[in-house]
Amino acid sequence: MIPTLTTDRLTLRAPRLEDFDAYAAFYADPDATRFIGGPRDTRAAWRSFAADTGHWHLKGFGWWIVAAAGRVLGSIGLHHPPSQPDLELGWLLFPAAQGQGYATEAASAARAWGRAELRPARLVSYIDAGNAASIRLAERLGAVREAARAAHDPDCFVYRHPGAP
Amino acid sequence: MTETLIRIPTLETERLRLRAAAPGDFEAYAAFRAEPRTQVLGGPHSRSDAFQMLAALVGQWQLRGYGRWIIADRTDDRPLGVTGIFHPEDWPEAELAWSLFGAAEGKGIAQEAALAARDFAYATLKLPPLISMITAGNTRSEALARRLGARIERDYQHPEFGDMRIWRHPSREDLA
Repeated sequence: MIPTLTTDRLTLRAPRLEDFDAYAAFYADPDATRFIGGPRDTRAAWRSFAADTGHWHLKGFGWWIVAAAGRVLGSIGLHHPPSQPDLELGWLLFPAAQGQGYATEAASAARAWGRAELRPARLVSYIDAGNAASIRLAERLGAVREAARAAHDPDCFVYRHPGAP
Repeated sequence: MTETLIRIPTLETERLRLRAAAPGDFEAYAAFRAEPRTQVLGGPHSRSDAFQMLAALVGQWQLRGYGRWIIADRTDDRPLGVTGIFHPEDWPEAELAWSLFGAAEGKGIAQEAALAARDFAYATLKLPPLISMITAGNTRSEALARRLGARIERDYQHPEFGDMRIWRHPSREDLA
């Protein structure tokens, strides 16, 4: 079973088929997804949604759906595809859910789970240099920007999360 | 972690084991996805894409309760290919899909595996008559579809794969 995490306001739980429409609608929006590989058509969105889910099976960690009061707000997770040198904490929050501290709350919970379960030597977030909202979130989480950009994606800064396990 | 996080059943046939994809299958899967002949499957693909595809193959089990297995050699568990029920959101219906990694072709393995997958789809999952989507010109897969008793139902234009045909498999009742 994919673990469920709860915070004051949020539930982080396994992705479900019925979450896909909201996820696909988000990825169809070029403005909302310009810094995270969007826009994606239904086909590409399905592949990333299913892959984020299946990552749990292949690696023992992956992405959760962030929900509050039955409403899907976004997705957050830990992933380590072969293209990336380090384990990454990633997040996406649908526009309607932004500006209310949900991302900080969800990211803190996901990071705490990742530290406790995976004990990584390094945990980073790769963030596009133009993605001001995500950079603010990384800084609120105490992550520090490293000098070099991401080797696999020169558009991205590397934010290293603090606190060795 | 000993218990897998997504529940995927294992099937066995005379020579094969249909089992969940495992991290150890990635190199064989990525090599297959990098082959020029995967053009009929939208390829060839990079390692990074192959990882996403392998993860998505597993993830569909969590999302739909059915999906695709790795076809493994029953004696040494070596990965030989992929078969099972492929059903991404842009597909018209649940599809019985198969593909073999190069070295495993020509030994009846795809047929043995696809039959087991189809039996499971009908007997356990209670799915309606399945389709197979085959790119025009993929004569090897067309021949297997015919051997499995499937018939061409209609043409299908896929934005990425181009001209395809939808083959319809016999129903559970037809096969009884």
